[in-house]
Amino acid sequence: MKQFWVACCAVWCLGQAVDGGEAERHFETRIRPVLIKTCQKCHGNEERGGLRLDSREEMLAGGKSGAAVIPGNPQGSLLFQLIAGTHPTRKMPPSGPLPNRVVADFSEWIAARAVWPESRREFYQRRVEPILRQRCYSCHSDTSRKGGLRLDLHHLAVRGGKSGPAILPRNPDGSLLVQAIRRQGELKMPPAKRLADAEIAAIVKWVAEGAAYGPPLEKLEHYTISDSQRAFWSFQPLQIPDIPASFPGNPIDYLVETRLLQQGLTPVPAAEAAELVRRASYDLTGLPPGAQQVEEFVREFASDPDGTWRRWIERLLASRQYGERWGRHWLDLVRYADTAGDAADYPIPEAYKYRNYVIDAFHDDMPYDQFIREQIAGDLFAAETESETWRQVIATGYLAISRRIGVSPQNLRHITIEDTINNLGRTFLGLTIGCARCHDHKFDPISTADYYALYGMFESSVYPHPGAEHKPWRQDFVYRIGKKKAATLLASHRQVLQEWNQKERAALELYRDFQRQKVADPSRSREQAWRHVLAVREQRRPYAEAFPQLERAYAIVDGADPHDTTIQRGGSPAKRDRGPAVRRGFLQILGGATLAPTVRESGRRQLAEWIATARNPLTSRVMVNRIWHYHFGKGIVASTSDFGIRGERASHPGLLDWLARYFIEQQWSIKQVHRLIMTSRVYRRSTSDLPVNRAADPTNRYFWRFDRLRLDAEQFRDSVLLFSGRLDNTSGGRHPFDHHLTYFYRQHEPFVGVFPTNKRSIYMMQQRINKNPYLDLFDGPDGNIQLAERRATTTTLQALFLMNSAFVHEQADAIAARIIAEESRQEARVRWIYRTLLGRTPTSDEILRAAEFFQVSRIQLAATLESEEEQLQAAWSGFARGMLASNEFLYID
Amino acid sequence: MPNSLRQRRRVIRSLAAGGLLLPGVLSELLASDSIPQHRTDPLAPKRPHFSPRAKRVIFLFLTGGVSHIDTFDDKPLLRKYHDQPRNNRTRYCKGSMWPHRAYGQSGIRISDLFPQMARMADDLCVIRSMKNINGDHFGATIGIHTGSATFNRPSMGSWVSYGLGTENQNLPSFMVVSAGIPYGGGQNWGADFLPVLHQGTQIVPGHHPIANIERRSVSLAQQRTEMNLLEYFNLQYQKGRETDMNLAARMKSFETAAAMQTAAPEAFRLVDETQATKALYGLEEGDTSSFAWQCLVARRLAERGVRFIELIDGDTSIDKNWDAHANLSKYPALARNVDRPIAALLEDLKRRGMLDETLVVLTSEFGRGPFVPTPGTDGRGHHARCYSSWIAGGGVKGGMTYGASDEFGDDVAEDVVTVHDFQATLLHQLGIDHQRLTYRHAGRDFRLTDVHGKVVRAILA
Repeated sequence: MKQFWVACCAVWCLGQAVDGGEAERHFETRIRPVLIKTCQKCHGNEERGGLRLDSREEMLAGGKSGAAVIPGNPQGSLLFQLIAGTHPTRKMPPSGPLPNRVVADFSEWIAARAVWPESRREFYQRRVEPILRQRCYSCHSDTSRKGGLRLDLHHLAVRGGKSGPAILPRNPDGSLLVQAIRRQGELKMPPAKRLADAEIAAIVKWVAEGAAYGPPLEKLEHYTISDSQRAFWSFQPLQIPDIPASFPGNPIDYLVETRLLQQGLTPVPAAEAAELVRRASYDLTGLPPGAQQVEEFVREFASDPDGTWRRWIERLLASRQYGERWGRHWLDLVRYADTAGDAADYPIPEAYKYRNYVIDAFHDDMPYDQFIREQIAGDLFAAETESETWRQVIATGYLAISRRIGVSPQNLRHITIEDTINNLGRTFLGLTIGCARCHDHKFDPISTADYYALYGMFESSVYPHPGAEHKPWRQDFVYRIGKKKAATLLASHRQVLQEWNQKERAALELYRDFQRQKVADPSRSREQAWRHVLAVREQRRPYAEAFPQLERAYAIVDGADPHDTTIQRGGSPAKRDRGPAVRRGFLQILGGATLAPTVRESGRRQLAEWIATARNPLTSRVMVNRIWHYHFGKGIVASTSDFGIRGERASHPGLLDWLARYFIEQQWSIKQVHRLIMTSRVYRRSTSDLPVNRAADPTNRYFWRFDRLRLDAEQFRDSVLLFSGRLDNTSGGRHPFDHHLTYFYRQHEPFVGVFPTNKRSIYMMQQRINKNPYLDLFDGPDGNIQLAERRATTTTLQALFLMNSAFVHEQADAIAARIIAEESRQEARVRWIYRTLLGRTPTSDEILRAAEFFQVSRIQLAATLESEEEQLQAAWSGFARGMLASNEFLYID
Repeated sequence: MPNSLRQRRRVIRSLAAGGLLLPGVLSELLASDSIPQHRTDPLAPKRPHFSPRAKRVIFLFLTGGVSHIDTFDDKPLLRKYHDQPRNNRTRYCKGSMWPHRAYGQSGIRISDLFPQMARMADDLCVIRSMKNINGDHFGATIGIHTGSATFNRPSMGSWVSYGLGTENQNLPSFMVVSAGIPYGGGQNWGADFLPVLHQGTQIVPGHHPIANIERRSVSLAQQRTEMNLLEYFNLQYQKGRETDMNLAARMKSFETAAAMQTAAPEAFRLVDETQATKALYGLEEGDTSSFAWQCLVARRLAERGVRFIELIDGDTSIDKNWDAHANLSKYPALARNVDRPIAALLEDLKRRGMLDETLVVLTSEFGRGPFVPTPGTDGRGHHARCYSSWIAGGGVKGGMTYGASDEFGDDVAEDVVTVHDFQATLLHQLGIDHQRLTYRHAGRDFRLTDVHGKVVRAILA
């Protein structure tokens, strides 16, 4: 008997079902009817408590309370405890106890490992229909009936096509279908590639048992990519234009100027030296050049323009400020923030490590393909040293910072993963893959199956839990010394804290009883209960704060059980909306490769490799276009994160592809692309206007001039702090958040933090729910959505900020104090401020106008301010504010 | 003319006579006394899709989830079975503690919590079949404001500003008068991917309602001198760059800002309101922070052409909002705080002939449940699948109820109105087709109602 069970179990493990046998009969006659009649009403499509009892897998997976059945162990099985009345608090079914005989049946069934043979219909749905759908329907279903045969409906399959009946139920050897897939006769199907042996076996068994059909688990349309989609430009390999060997200069100039010539446009002359030095400085570092640097540059430029220019670019590229500027661009793309974005907006004190990783990567000119690999799967790639390993772990912070939603983000994991896929698609590939979560993409050739092929990789990865209202304790942060060592080191502290946590939860439960309107002890008020919670938390606090801060990262690792996932119909993760499983893999339009069957990882490593390759036609194009965009204020493809059908077309397709190939040839060096672009004539053009050109090309699509750019939020703030002498130019570390074990934020008391700093803006703490009002006002980053192209809006509220804000007044006061201290005569002071803030000497008219301003001011200020020092200070502060608000300061020529 | 100004002029004249002034100074000094003119704004009014019934919205939002059963949806059966079990003794009926009465000619039943609003029953269209898309504060609050319970999307006010612009360029087109921050924070009035000028400007009741609106320069005259200097800088820079419209637009923005600096505080100075008006709202002397103040300010902003005005009552603190899991007994105090001001707002708008063109809306993120797990508790749980809101004015029929809940107020029995339907209907009254007001973002045309929403035509006058 025992041997029989073992054999039976083994068959199960192979994923095959057997008919006949005592165990099956027991299940079919004693168990299945009870499940259908008594249990499935609530634990079928309704999924009460998250539990389904209509298949063995669902039953074993269990619901919110855990697994329902432990095969072989009735006493330990929740289901049995509940129906037998041995569970301490709960009973099932709610309608009343089952007869003892039925309880005994269940005990026997579970003891015998809960055998649950698939019904024939289930067998068809799970094992046969997916094969037919994937391998046969494209030619033999309602849309295409090659040979007059349809295989998607029972009676039509039996009737067959021109060659006769395809299926003879219960006679596999005689069935044409079986012969064709075995490739025994004339017909060899599917024509392209033989089915796997296991697939053939499944079909043979199915036919042998009568070829029962059932409704497909998922009525997926066969996803087809149209010819025009397939031919869409961005999916094509790079097409490199010819550049005549005779052309002496920068290839960019050739490619842009030939287009200008075709369009009948004349490029404007090069910008002045003083304009170039400022343009390059803001572009590469986000800060203005020093007055002395400007003067030096202008002097040397006169005799050696090219050499001076190149040296200046090198100097800027080598500075730490370069990393801070270009790292900020990347953080815009990956919607970096220091909080999670859940309803209580939990802080993530470790997030800054990823921010600094990005800054360092740009500063060190990390090859872009490596940068991609580390961010998507740094934990899975080998590294030579421990510090490299750790850096790669931190890099996966890119995935970890995906948005958390609501009071229990772990229950909305599919939304967090959507945010990951959405961002990943747009950032690296310029594709809006996130659109395919609920339905096939409406425009681009991206199917829902493509989406879930990627989804499986992230579902197989562990996202750290930063804490949230319903579960304030964080989980799955990555320890530098490893999980096990950390566990040993922390064990004693954990034990102490665990006790306090239990006390805290117990106190909270008493309070929550009021929320649930279940109050056992009416003598106690809600307010008292809450005060008690707060008191316990206060007592707990010293133990929490004493908890050692081992080095951790907000990062991602592979889960214990990498697996494929099922399609979520309509984007709903409810079990009843689950469709067929999709093999983890990559977009069909770009080859549609899937993970090899031997892969035991999540697939992120393979995904990273698939993106970070010269063969992927999007990766290099998208990134060089971004670099171009940040240099010129607009991309060759204007929609920098949408290279799909609804995106903009490239203004210079040849240039884009040429740059993409250059990028690859230069080992994905971003700094090499900067050098090439910045030494072109196109980059060095002035912003001057040419009416003829403007009439023909008003938006400067063909780059006949350089577009005047407005300082963005960070450039403005950092510059102002620089001028006031208050800029702290050191790099930023951890924000002064409280110890992470002291967080009890709720949607009622969300985290709100203001950490004033005079460091560069990239180091300001960025919250997701309560956003930084300054950054918001000047079109800065949001932290919730990808910001691929900054706007430069002009609003009245911005003007009011420049006129009346405390920040601008304080900084202008500091600038005024500097001027007064550094120079003693008015004219010298005027020269100082022009030179420092605008990088030039004032004209005689400007000196005169300044003199008028100070005379008027002195008269007016005398009415309100007594001392001359105060008057002088106020007048200079006003002058400085005027200059900070001026267009000359705010725009880059 | 004030004394100091007269004195200053005298000094100027004497300096000029003595030849001590530089050439431009005299005109500069005299110019700094004059008021700058304002010009147009990028928020210029835009034509709606069709002829609108309303010009603006006043959106009254009560934070925390107002119990529909205790306010606008009377359930006698629930009272009858009060404390009696339902469903195997897992839950018990909880009838309202407050009697409901029929009001006005329409006979709409309203509870004793809102006796003043009840006076206006014949102007209200009470919807008793509201349904939100999320059952928690955060998701439901952003749900009714933005149509999304998860990712950030532009708020309704931003969409309206984007669709219609503003009639008064001296004030923001979308203003949110709120002492605190509701669930979901600024996301509720964020512009998200729409241009930032459509974002709601938060007005914090008190002495400094708009950020940076108050002059910080030592005197107005000096500020004007500074503004003139700025204009000089900008004119210098503009030479040879005349065709760059961005530069001109930025110069204009400072003129508008100067005008707003004067006009905006005026909207919040209630000195020119009569005693009778203040009494109507229940506003006490010197009060600049109550809900009554918020309501009176709302009327003044409406008069001044602000397109979307939102008033928020309460914040995320459960002691100050309508969340009442275990303390329904706080309702009378909360109700008293808003009842008279809201009724006064309706009455005031009506008297001034503004109600017809102003869509006034009262809503919350959800209602509260009719059943409780233990008899005799003083609270109700969240209830998003069925609750009540009302709309008044703006071409919506008054004195009617729309939709109905079942006999216990548990679920919608007829004519469901989802938050997307609600939003579509409000936009419709402003002349906007919710399916046509779109914005291209990330490769797709987004709209407030996503792929949902149908206009509730039965309530349109």
